[in-house]
Amino acid sequence: MTLGPPSSAVCLSLSSGPVYRAPSVTIHPTALFSILDHYLRRTDTQQRVIGTLLGTRNEGDDAVSVRTAFAVLHSETSEQVAVDMDYHRAMFDLSQRVNPKESIVGWYSTGSNLNTYSALIQNFYSQETAPYPAIHIALNTGTELGEEAGVKAYVSSPVGVFPKPENAVFVPIPITLRTNNAERSGLHLLENAPSSPVGELAQLEGTLNDVLEMLDRVLAYAQEAAAGKPADAALGRYLMRALGGGAEESGKGGFTSSLQDTLMMSYLANLVRAQAELSARLALVTGS
Amino acid sequence: MATSMAAALAASLPAPQAASAPVAPVHEPIPASMSKLIDIEVEISLNLVQLEGLVVSKIIKHCSESHSSVHGLLLGLDLDGTLEVTNSFPLPHSTGDDDEKSSKTTSRYQNAMLRALKEVRADDSVVGFYQSTTMGAFFSQTLVDTQAIHHEKLRHGGIVVVHDVSQCNRGNASFRAFKLLKEFLEAYRKTPFSAKSMINHKLTFNSIMQEVPLKIRTNPLLGSFISTLSERRPTSLTQPLPSEVYHTSLSPLYSTLHLGNPTLTKNLENVVEAIDNYKTEEGNLAYHTRQIAREKARAEAYVAKRREESANRVAQGLAPLPEEDVSRLFKIPREPSRLDSMLLLGQVDAYAKTLEGTSGLSLVKMYAARAGTDANREVFQ
Repeated sequence: MTLGPPSSAVCLSLSSGPVYRAPSVTIHPTALFSILDHYLRRTDTQQRVIGTLLGTRNEGDDAVSVRTAFAVLHSETSEQVAVDMDYHRAMFDLSQRVNPKESIVGWYSTGSNLNTYSALIQNFYSQETAPYPAIHIALNTGTELGEEAGVKAYVSSPVGVFPKPENAVFVPIPITLRTNNAERSGLHLLENAPSSPVGELAQLEGTLNDVLEMLDRVLAYAQEAAAGKPADAALGRYLMRALGGGAEESGKGGFTSSLQDTLMMSYLANLVRAQAELSARLALVTGS
Repeated sequence: MATSMAAALAASLPAPQAASAPVAPVHEPIPASMSKLIDIEVEISLNLVQLEGLVVSKIIKHCSESHSSVHGLLLGLDLDGTLEVTNSFPLPHSTGDDDEKSSKTTSRYQNAMLRALKEVRADDSVVGFYQSTTMGAFFSQTLVDTQAIHHEKLRHGGIVVVHDVSQCNRGNASFRAFKLLKEFLEAYRKTPFSAKSMINHKLTFNSIMQEVPLKIRTNPLLGSFISTLSERRPTSLTQPLPSEVYHTSLSPLYSTLHLGNPTLTKNLENVVEAIDNYKTEEGNLAYHTRQIAREKARAEAYVAKRREESANRVAQGLAPLPEEDVSRLFKIPREPSRLDSMLLLGQVDAYAKTLEGTSGLSLVKMYAARAGTDANREVFQ
């Protein structure tokens, strides 16, 4: 910023000003689960736990994707805060060995109170992530009475005529949960926990039942709308488009030929397995 | 450094006598009534592997990021026949150029990681490892080797959790837990892995590993958090709507409904490739067997000839020829190891099994889709 000494007015305009675009943050489930696990394993004296967020940045549009997190030791008393920097560095080096693409993007803490210590820690992480802003993710575990579980993300900017590390404005930025296909399957497994991984056929059955249930709901909605109850026109059009199209995708010929292919494949697979089994048994016989 | 290294090594090896450690310095015989109380867990055989939600997501993340096969360590605790896996960490991909050096750095990495996890009060005892696979074929020499090493170091011999990446991408997160069977391990320790010991132990590729039932668990905190994520919230649509319209943070999972299966061709290629590999290995084995037979025949011919000569000399009243060490003259090659061919056959079977499964599944989907389109056509005509 070259406009002169930073004043609080300039800093506050950061959140909405056209010059600066707040990074959009996406978080993957592994990071969330690591934070929750860390919170579970805290000591009795710890009010909250903190740790480092690792992820990737998209150079073009400031999009940050938080992929994983690791715990960092810290202690907070009424007089001082201490973060184990050596530990943080050591863990980061270790994680670099496995996944060198992930860099430090910020830090997390549990609970939703931002205080002076938060500003101090944020100041430290800003040095780690420079030249990019450090992202702070506050995860509320929902274990305290009257608090709802949730995740919030912030970036900070200095405040005051003379910026000091313990003074900062935390500007909330939007955060979304992002899952790729594989992670989505894993979440599905966890949603129904405790459970055991099932075969693909059973999985298909479950999904088809979901679809059936949804069709029932849509049908009930459509019938209500047809009976004259107030309904959303946009939703109706959307349903029409979703259900009306796609009827002509595969013709009759396509069906028979792929049926033949699939049956052939199934036959082949069975044949191979039978031969393999036979071969294994024969290997036991030949010697004797 | 040396002492800390030793300490780290000691920490990394889960001591099977951990429970008896406080008793040990006293140097008194453990009373018979107490001996049952000390480390009784070893005696209880494993009947369930329980994966924590965090481990599930960590394994999926690690496996889906890499295209080649990856592996990592599982940490946790065994209790009353249930192996609770509560944490895991990935191992760096070995470059393979310098075996000894890379294994050294890996073990250093492993120790550092375990120490670091201990500091933040995470579980730090190794109970096994996980491995990614595609199309279900996970038998490999390295897997068996690692598992055999683990068998000596870990309680219960350690387990291996296999995660199928290709299935996971299709929408079904698949985790299976295995442990080595005793019979196989006995045969494996006897090098070479000969046909005879294979027959003695009645080994086929099915009897290498035993599957252990696996359960997924989420701790209450994680469970409540996930249920918050999948909570149904009212939509932002403004028009009056029936109450059933809602949306959730977790999108429903419909990738299982995709009709086409992009991995089918790859799977077929895998089957063919595995069969080719097996054929080559069979060729090698046959060559070795022929070689052995030829050498043996030559040795026998030589012995027979010598015996004949010797008999002639005796008949002529001369002293018989001195005894000779035939084995030194003829180098009979060692019997080749059958392990490779067995593992390859196991791979063929696994690939074919996956192919069978997916083709059966697509058959079901095709008929379902046809019924769907037919019904759709009737409605819209």
